[in-house]
Amino acid sequence: MSALSSLARLEAAAAGVARPLATVRHCHVAEAPLVLVPLRLAGEAAAPLAVLAGSAPDDPALLVVPQPRNRDLRFAFAADLAKLVLNHIETSRGEVEELPPGKEGEERIRYGDAPQLLVPNRGGVAFLRMLGRSTRFRSTEGPYAVDPAVPVLGRWLTWFADRYDHPGSSLLGAMTELLRLHWATGQSSLEDGNLAALMGWIDPPDGLDGPAAAARAEDPVAWPPAGPATDPTFDNEVLAPAIAAYDASGGGARAEARLRAALAGQLTPTWDLMWRAVEVLRGLPEGASVPKRWERDRDAFTYYHQTFGEAYPQARRDSPVRAARRLHDLERAQDAYDAQRAFDDPLVMAEHRLAGQAFGGVVTECDPARLDETGKRPKLRPHLRVATADPVRLDAGTTVCSAARPALKGRIVEIGGGAVLLELTGGMGRKLTPEPGVVPEAGDRVCFTSLTDGSFGMAKFPDREETPWTHGGPPEEYVPTHEDAEEEWS
Amino acid sequence: MTETAPDLDGLRGAAAPRNHDARTIAALTSNPGCARRGVMDAAGVDKDLVARELGFPAPFGQSQFAITRGNAFEAQVKADGCAELLTLLRERLGLDVPEVAYDDLEVVAGNEGRELRHSRTRRLVARALETGEGTLFDHPLLRLEIAGRFAYLEPDVIAFQLAGRLHVIEIKSFAVVDGQAEPEQVAAAARQSAVYVLALRRMVAELGHDPGRVSHEVFLVCPENFSNRPTATPLDVRPQLAVLERQLARLTRIDDILAELPGDLTFEPGERLAESVRAVEARYAPECMSGCEMAFFCRDEARACGSTGALGRSVRDDLGGVDTIGTALALADGSLAPSDDLAETAEQLRTAARLRAEALEGVA
Amino acid sequence: MFRSPGVPTPDELETRISELRAAVRRAVAAGDRSNARELRAELRRAEQAWDDAVLGEGGADAGAGDRADRDRDGGPRGLLPVREQVHQALTLLGAPAAPKLIGSVYAAFFPGGVPASRLTSLRRDEERSFRTAPYARPYYLCAALTADLLAPARGLLTVSTWPLEQRIVGPLSPRTDFLTSAVRLAEHAGRGTPSPGAQRLLWRFASNIPGAVTGTVGTVDPAVLAEAARAELEVHREPDRRRRASAAGRARAQLDDAELLFGSRLRALRDAGRRPAGNGETER
Repeated sequence: MSALSSLARLEAAAAGVARPLATVRHCHVAEAPLVLVPLRLAGEAAAPLAVLAGSAPDDPALLVVPQPRNRDLRFAFAADLAKLVLNHIETSRGEVEELPPGKEGEERIRYGDAPQLLVPNRGGVAFLRMLGRSTRFRSTEGPYAVDPAVPVLGRWLTWFADRYDHPGSSLLGAMTELLRLHWATGQSSLEDGNLAALMGWIDPPDGLDGPAAAARAEDPVAWPPAGPATDPTFDNEVLAPAIAAYDASGGGARAEARLRAALAGQLTPTWDLMWRAVEVLRGLPEGASVPKRWERDRDAFTYYHQTFGEAYPQARRDSPVRAARRLHDLERAQDAYDAQRAFDDPLVMAEHRLAGQAFGGVVTECDPARLDETGKRPKLRPHLRVATADPVRLDAGTTVCSAARPALKGRIVEIGGGAVLLELTGGMGRKLTPEPGVVPEAGDRVCFTSLTDGSFGMAKFPDREETPWTHGGPPEEYVPTHEDAEEEWS
Repeated sequence: MTETAPDLDGLRGAAAPRNHDARTIAALTSNPGCARRGVMDAAGVDKDLVARELGFPAPFGQSQFAITRGNAFEAQVKADGCAELLTLLRERLGLDVPEVAYDDLEVVAGNEGRELRHSRTRRLVARALETGEGTLFDHPLLRLEIAGRFAYLEPDVIAFQLAGRLHVIEIKSFAVVDGQAEPEQVAAAARQSAVYVLALRRMVAELGHDPGRVSHEVFLVCPENFSNRPTATPLDVRPQLAVLERQLARLTRIDDILAELPGDLTFEPGERLAESVRAVEARYAPECMSGCEMAFFCRDEARACGSTGALGRSVRDDLGGVDTIGTALALADGSLAPSDDLAETAEQLRTAARLRAEALEGVA
Repeated sequence: MFRSPGVPTPDELETRISELRAAVRRAVAAGDRSNARELRAELRRAEQAWDDAVLGEGGADAGAGDRADRDRDGGPRGLLPVREQVHQALTLLGAPAAPKLIGSVYAAFFPGGVPASRLTSLRRDEERSFRTAPYARPYYLCAALTADLLAPARGLLTVSTWPLEQRIVGPLSPRTDFLTSAVRLAEHAGRGTPSPGAQRLLWRFASNIPGAVTGTVGTVDPAVLAEAARAELEVHREPDRRRRASAAGRARAQLDDAELLFGSRLRALRDAGRRPAGNGETER
């Protein structure tokens, strides 16, 4: 949080409707994302109860575990879900792009598209992660054999959950988080975790304002929770009797139909909400760097898909080198993502201006043809004075770039008296006079920042064989054991 | 201890007092400045009932699936003289537990009176400290002084004595998967366990022993991965203990709060209930929603008067302590001149407002 | 408020069912139990009416299901009365035991099963029978007594013909009894080829006794189990026996016949003062 987003909350509270935190959309929204609304049995780590899934608003598939404590029914559910998810993955690849060959002449390709999974909230992500963990080690032969699709689902869900941790990735999205990235409401972040309440502020139904819509959304009877947790009164008054009736009927079709109807009633409102939220996000213009980040997602997807056949399920725990590399990757991705959003979106850049890492204003003086002739050869070094009221917290000598055109680089010469004097150093062409239109003129509005849009070199980590002894030495190759496959799921 | 007792009982009306449990105490310390909660808890008021009467029922119902699961797991771990628990202590934690005694302190001869249970707990703990007798003490009943009054604690734990030291064992039914559990649940368990450790330490000190004989290391027993098999994890609750002791020391004394209240105040259901509740000041924060039955009522009240606290602590902090939304917005648009102590906040808000407006200009 | 005239259509019934469901949940959330109960009953009627309207009366799987359900309650019955079954299981165990263990032992070593629901009321029935006509039966299923207060121990059953020392439980007794039972079950199983059910039960004991597991997970050598249990029993037996014996002496001096079998609650009541209503008093 910052004073800026807090102010947006205040404005929203006063206006009774959400206020923007972004002027463009910072995430990719697929043409046909796979929306998943999962429910879990209360008190269990990963006992699925039901899921509503599909990639078109009018075509949801309802999968249900009529007796969540029955292991066979759980795995039957996992097999059905697997078919659905794997089908989505296989149909979301698009055309294959040939890329220039790699350093060692190897062939490189990239899928033209990638699958996107959308769940209502962070709980949904955690649930998919758990479901992945509980299914990826399953054996497809022997005494505890499961449908061959089950461990495949487990590995893919684990991969999606892993990518979720990667800042800027759009492969798996939690709808509440995606919305909160773009809007501030007049309620606390705790209440924003309720998708229906959040949407009530962002896109209130006719005749209601944000607070009224959110209040209605907090009544679990009128608005079932978006999962994966169910409402206790639903569990006690509707679900438990329905499951008991199912047990009593010995798995009767009629009892199962009733159970399905009850669960569908809990899921459908959230389903509709998810697609409305998708539309709301689509209504924002896409940020300039979103396609580039989606390309990284497509790369990751291509790699995992291509190597799926020869890889083992993901280990229970990362080895030290892998964990360190992963942490480093995530930090880098976070920096790049933060910077890219700021360059894409003046409202995000405003956060950096408030923090003093960027400044904006009007050019008051400009010497576009200034040359630095102290060296052997003269260099083009235009001077620019920018009047700004921003609380600049940058030192003289700091390298900055233009928010509108990051290639235009400069160095701060002096700061004071409500102005910053800049010496431009690059991005103006190769000649001793700048390319036309590149150097701002007096009277232009400009914004400069010390952020860079994040092209860092690769970090050096030892290969797994050279894991230092301080980190336990080289880890054993992870091979799933019989025990993994047999692990109870009860 | 006793001079305000009639007042407290009067607050409760005819109803029997409610016991504190570690959850309520842990929650109490997360919002020590709330006088309303402090008084209602000290008087043992049924806050759930009050909230319902006020039209803001607390959504703290539990699913029977969760309850069944929790009870079944606990029963399983404790079955046959805590056979599974003992195996965990011996094998998983590598403790050398040669002799195993088990004392059930939940019921004393078919009786659940808390004074009786507490005195038995005290007696057995004293004996354990002096002679080393006793290993597992199930459901000890403890006491803790809160805001100048003693509260009984109903811990759903086992006190475990080994080599003259006591450990708290807490059985929880959330899963530990690959050595990890949901951080919020572990944090909640740690906060609760810290309350038990502290209460046990106070008892040990009262008995004239070194409170350090109650370990800061508690054992958390949970189902492992997706099975019913229990696993034990040692949990160092020193950080939680430090916070708890600090917050308890800071709690405004209930007697001081009571002195400010009208003598005929009562939280008995009736027409004047809302008025009575409002007479005691609350300090609402969104965190209250997870632990206090009064939260919905207080939130409504906080929103009605435009409190910035209702938007969350971080918002309030960003606003440098400005209490109401109206004031903050007026400072932001410059229509209100700030007092000296708010000058910096006002400056920040005005800049923020200008930057937002500038950025949104192009869009709108 | 949910009535409509004439025979409702399935659509009307569906609306009514969802209204009633919402109403029940609201009543529960508001803490209005009696209203919730009424609404719940009305909901069940509406659901039944819907079943009848849509699926025809006594539709295919419902009727069969209901019958199956009645048969299912408590699993297949043994040929003996419940008290006989419990007596057999306890005799095999040779130590005070909880209903759950009694059920597992019976299922593992005898034909049929003990209906768990019947065990909860058993001790109360036995006490009533004894008080009405003392010693009319050859044995009674009675309480274990706590060593300190000679009160009935929660959730433990014993046999009246056992020596009093065996029926008293002190702090060390839960472990001693667990180990004693392990020895006896292992010896019993060792005389024949244990059934899969017996293997599972023995495994439950073996996995919680140091040194009792030698082979693969899930399999138990009864002789090894008995040996390991005896070794740990050595640590506990003597102090436990002394404790039980001294309590038995006190009991003989202080308690009447019925109290000797079902425990004393008098002193506790005298000490107790007021007692809050709780839900943990079911075992009395």
